[in-house]
Amino acid sequence: MTEQDDSLEPIIEILREPAVLRADLTDRVMSEIERLPLPGPAAPNPVRWWRRGWTIRLTPLRGLGLAAGLAALLFAVRLGGRPRVGPVVPLGARAMTQFVLIAPTATSVTVVGDFNDWSMSATPLERAGGVWSVAVPLGPGRYRYAFVVNGAIWQRDPEAPAADDEFGRANSVVTVGGT
Amino acid sequence: MSALRLGIVPALLLALTAVAQGQEPRLAGRVPEPARTQVNAILTAAHTGGLPTEPLIDRALEGAAKGAPAAMIVAAVTRLRDELVQARSAFGETASTAELTAGASALRAGATAASLARLRAVRSGKPLTVAAAVMADLVAAGVPADTAVGAVLALASDADDADYLTFRRNVQRDIALGASPSAALAVRIRAAVSGADAAPSPGTGQTGPGVPRKRKP
Repeated sequence: MTEQDDSLEPIIEILREPAVLRADLTDRVMSEIERLPLPGPAAPNPVRWWRRGWTIRLTPLRGLGLAAGLAALLFAVRLGGRPRVGPVVPLGARAMTQFVLIAPTATSVTVVGDFNDWSMSATPLERAGGVWSVAVPLGPGRYRYAFVVNGAIWQRDPEAPAADDEFGRANSVVTVGGT
Repeated sequence: MSALRLGIVPALLLALTAVAQGQEPRLAGRVPEPARTQVNAILTAAHTGGLPTEPLIDRALEGAAKGAPAAMIVAAVTRLRDELVQARSAFGETASTAELTAGASALRAGATAASLARLRAVRSGKPLTVAAAVMADLVAAGVPADTAVGAVLALASDADDADYLTFRRNVQRDIALGASPSAALAVRIRAAVSGADAAPSPGTGQTGPGVPRKRKP
């Protein structure tokens, strides 16, 4: 062994001694870790929020709806400087009234009455199987009507009250309430 | 200028001319002469007298759609005009077209002008259309006119439109199930006045909802 080796010998002896760890080391380390702040998003930066880009995704239907809403708003503003509120139409002012006729062999059915100038072409019924039907908006009132089957056969509604008739063809009547 | 626009302008001018001359454009081409001329005269007089003309136009168009002869159309329009006058005298000058039309139907069914005036008095401030219409509907269902009028008046102070329609529907259902019109009306009016939620259908043993009773404050 050289002279240099002799000078290192005490250090080597120290390093060869086993390290003595305190029994509560693990608990102390874990408690220190728990005290540290959790990683997460950075604090909000107002400047960055204003400069950040946004992506808006719209379906075609919602896009059209949004465009229609904006157009309506612009139109209202141009009309009077602010959106106008039209006359309030109370709910139930016009009730959808369903006219139904079971006529499996019919090729066409229309309803004629006080609500459509007794026009044979104004209100055709739609067929679903043997059932013909149509919905008509009616305000409060008493309306006389009849069905015309195949463009020629007048028929009253068997499910509705009969109405007086002065022209030799039976009518039915529907009464629509408002309260 | 498009062909469509070229067609619309003369049509509008013709319509305006017809109105200015006291002619209802909807009658043209549908109501035959001489009925159209006579009906137009009735419409002009009605308008001058403050009567609604729409029910009269509807009646004329109904007759035309059903292929009725001219004399029959004029007679029907004239009769309705007279009934509207009576209804207005009973309901008052402020009555709506719908109220007058329903009142005319009730008169046609057999109600008197005095009973309509009574209805107006009892239902002060309330709409009369459905009440008067139910009068006519009950008579059409076979209920004697004076009984139907009495029933409608009995409900007049409390019932709203929905109550009247429910009442009428129940009576008509009972009749359809075999009850006599008078018996059906008697049972349903009793249930309605007493506020019973369900009343037995006469002669059928079935039950159904009655007219809900109004709670007075």
